[in-house]
Amino acid sequence: MTVLDIRPVAGAIGAEIAGLDLSADLDGETVESLRVAFRDHLVLFIRDQDLSPARHSAFAALFGEVDREPFVYPLVMPHAEGHPEVLRVVKEAGDGGINFGGLWHYDVTYRERPHLASVIHAREVPPAGGDTMWANQYLAYETLSEGMKALLGRLRAIHSNALTYGGDEARYAPTSKAKTGERAAPPTERIETAHPVLRSHPESGRKALFVNQVFTERFEGMTLEESKPLLDFLWDHAVRPEFTCRWHWRAGDVAVWDNRCTQHFALNDYYGRRREVHRVAIHGERPV
Amino acid sequence: MTVAYKHIEVSPVAGALGAEVAGVDLTESLGNEVFSELHDAFMEHLVLFFRGQDITPAQHIAFARRFGEIDPNPFVRPLELETLPDHPEVLNVVKEASDRSMNFGGLWHHDVSHRERPNLGSVLLAREAPAAGGDTMWANQYLAYNTLSDGLKKTLGGMKAVHSTIRDLNDDQLAANYGVKKESVNFASVRRAEDKSEKVEHVHPVIRTHPETGRKCLFVNRSFTQRFDGWTREESLPLLDYLWAHGARPEFTVRWRWQAGDAALWDNRCVLHNAINDYAGQRRVMNRVAIHGDRPY
Repeated sequence: MTVLDIRPVAGAIGAEIAGLDLSADLDGETVESLRVAFRDHLVLFIRDQDLSPARHSAFAALFGEVDREPFVYPLVMPHAEGHPEVLRVVKEAGDGGINFGGLWHYDVTYRERPHLASVIHAREVPPAGGDTMWANQYLAYETLSEGMKALLGRLRAIHSNALTYGGDEARYAPTSKAKTGERAAPPTERIETAHPVLRSHPESGRKALFVNQVFTERFEGMTLEESKPLLDFLWDHAVRPEFTCRWHWRAGDVAVWDNRCTQHFALNDYYGRRREVHRVAIHGERPV
Repeated sequence: MTVAYKHIEVSPVAGALGAEVAGVDLTESLGNEVFSELHDAFMEHLVLFFRGQDITPAQHIAFARRFGEIDPNPFVRPLELETLPDHPEVLNVVKEASDRSMNFGGLWHHDVSHRERPNLGSVLLAREAPAAGGDTMWANQYLAYNTLSDGLKKTLGGMKAVHSTIRDLNDDQLAANYGVKKESVNFASVRRAEDKSEKVEHVHPVIRTHPETGRKCLFVNRSFTQRFDGWTREESLPLLDYLWAHGARPEFTVRWRWQAGDAALWDNRCVLHNAINDYAGQRRVMNRVAIHGDRPY
């Protein structure tokens, strides 16, 4: 198998892969090695990539079936011309003020089949600020007490698109406020899905904690109020600094993360600076 | 963004706080003009990073001394922490590769806020750093204050909090508080001191005014703040929980990945910090010199 140059960026999660050029097709052995690295490190970073939307999309497709929906409800996002699957996540320099509404989350867990992964390509980034953090949810599970593991193993949680906890500010924190009127998708019915609180990763076989503060509302069969104390604990526990890594973007950076066992957080700390990243998402399986 | 200074080069490393400083050699004593610029950068960025500083303990102390009086014993008495043989004011924080503990008791804290005069700041120097892991995070408490609602600002403005040593912390948290391994803490002695009510306890305003910038910042932390003055702990906890979580919002933070020879100077009056223990099986050696502060008001 091809030996990749793998450089971990933190103790818990994340590795930079050096020496790859994603503008050309990768050979089968390299792809296989990448998949192994992805399974082991959960988030991979590849610097200095000059990618067209088509190449970005092609690289993402190595990890699974590309999500070709034109938007991720409830966001309406612009996309790269001719590539509805390549979302342009833009925050303009003129978007003002301190907005600290960001929350840690898994993407689109209100869906029956939340994303398997996402691939970001940084196009324009501030010299300081705009970092992204990821948290290893295998570790979040493994560091729970045996009693809590057993309890959570029997529970399912309701995930919905109603943004119960963070509200719009949380969902929109890293995106432009310039088009406020256009950000929300047309009114859509409430989407609600139950997932196990502990999910087994289909490839690694390891268990991961699978709740998040943006979309998880409550435990199945319980009220919001009954669920809140335990969910509050899990949200704090899941993102302990010891489970995380933080990436400072440069233009040309590519990141791919596993949305089945990591949560992420995009920092909105770059007032007065423009940021544009492109994102392609990969369809996942139904969590079990 | 690189701000133009005459003598030094200052490059922010995150949006909220923290800047890398180039053009300074800490093996040499700093001229007044260079120091003046460094001080300005310190007030603006709250945490300064200096790369490639292969300095002696004496030079480490001399640099810290420019910012204030050295605190020769920055820790609670019963803690038995290792210092450098010839320099008792330099704390030698060592985690051995054989120490496999995945100790996740680290808490966001201001250093020694249980004292009447908590530290002004510290200078931390990396002697040996893991290839990956062992980062430190800092959080800007001016921003934590500024982003509170006007109502809560007003409420907290009249309140004081009781800060005290070690109570309500388990052994892991206690050791993590001081960035040391559990083996270097004499827990029996610590607990005995508590039983005899020998703990150190002081009351500080919840919102403090920085003595140099005149700006207000939030001054409570999960390690030492026990309750609001005049309130029970049970009454205090809901609001303290909120403030602790708010004070460490990711948007207020910077994270530094250490290389041997990196030095960091932080302002303990207006930043919280958290040492991340995610490097089991790797050796890490840090030297630290603390600087005396004044009484918060």
